[in-house]
Amino acid sequence: MLDIKNKLVKISVLTTLVASSAAAHFQMLYTPETALEKGKKIELKHVFTHPFADEHTMDMAGVEEFYVINKEKKTDLLTTLKEITFKGNHNSGKAYESEYKAQRMGDHLFVMVPKPYFEKNEDAYIQQITKTIVNVAGTPSDWDAELNLKAEIVPLTKPYAIWEGGSFTGIVKSNGKPVPYAEIEVEYLNREVDMKQNKMGASLVEAPQDSFVTMGIKANKDGEFTFSIPKAGFWGFCALGVGSDTNYQGKELSQDAVIWIQAKPMK
Amino acid sequence: MKKIILGAFLAINTLFGHTAIMSCFDNGDDTITCEGGFSDGSSASGVVFKVEQNGKTLIEGKMSEDSEFTFKKPQGDYRALFDAGEGHTIIIKGSEITQ
Repeated sequence: MLDIKNKLVKISVLTTLVASSAAAHFQMLYTPETALEKGKKIELKHVFTHPFADEHTMDMAGVEEFYVINKEKKTDLLTTLKEITFKGNHNSGKAYESEYKAQRMGDHLFVMVPKPYFEKNEDAYIQQITKTIVNVAGTPSDWDAELNLKAEIVPLTKPYAIWEGGSFTGIVKSNGKPVPYAEIEVEYLNREVDMKQNKMGASLVEAPQDSFVTMGIKANKDGEFTFSIPKAGFWGFCALGVGSDTNYQGKELSQDAVIWIQAKPMK
Repeated sequence: MKKIILGAFLAINTLFGHTAIMSCFDNGDDTITCEGGFSDGSSASGVVFKVEQNGKTLIEGKMSEDSEFTFKKPQGDYRALFDAGEGHTIIIKGSEITQ
């Protein structure tokens, strides 16, 4: 009887893994604090993972572009990237880290364009153009800039100034044009990121069912979406396959737009 | 007349509707840069800026077009003062200004 139970548990674990690993890749452009009281040097981790379940850390294929915009001034940061091995709860993957002096007041809008990643399970490439916005001292400047990226989520809510229980609104765009009814995946960063050891912590919350791991929502006819933020922490939004590039090295390419937001508890 | 009303409205907005903010950093070359602004993102260009020591004003000027002011770092204790009017004065102690 015990044996059958064990087998059943194993089967159900396997099913869960297979079901959730098909979706929910998220490019992280992570720094622990996005609303800084004053200017300081910050550390960033660039990890391609599944932020809720953390069942697989992908090997990043490289980075095509990495830059920051502050007060409309663009600074190239590609040479600041250092290769690291990042340890997830199930495996380790090739990732990057960088340092940046967020000295000036206002918003520091980071954009990273990774090299397309080949996803064997889907026989296709994935490229997630990712934005993270860090604010210094509380004056807004560049957070809502429209960068006319091939795939982009333009925020209508400051991504670093959201209370727990608040909401986030954005518009999915491709080359500056809204993408009606875009498919968006939403995930909670369900763990602490150990910035020193380059590893993920244990799960913070449990999902009652798989549709809570990666939440699928859709934009409206104007490419706009709103999501209520039930818990403080980092939330990632990924608009799937909205980019204008659809092929890479003779295979299908899903060019996605990712944005990260950080909600704060009211205490 | 309409223009005058609009002008007055904007001025009130800048002065009272939003929080004044200042942030300073040490450039590492014996100069300090202070940036001023408001919580709604409006410019602090032209706002009065002072550096004080022992109750005396060492430097007095206005925030630049880019809403900033750079000055030579004084010896000893000092404070940087961003004066955007009543209730909108921000003071940062020199000892709190780092690179």
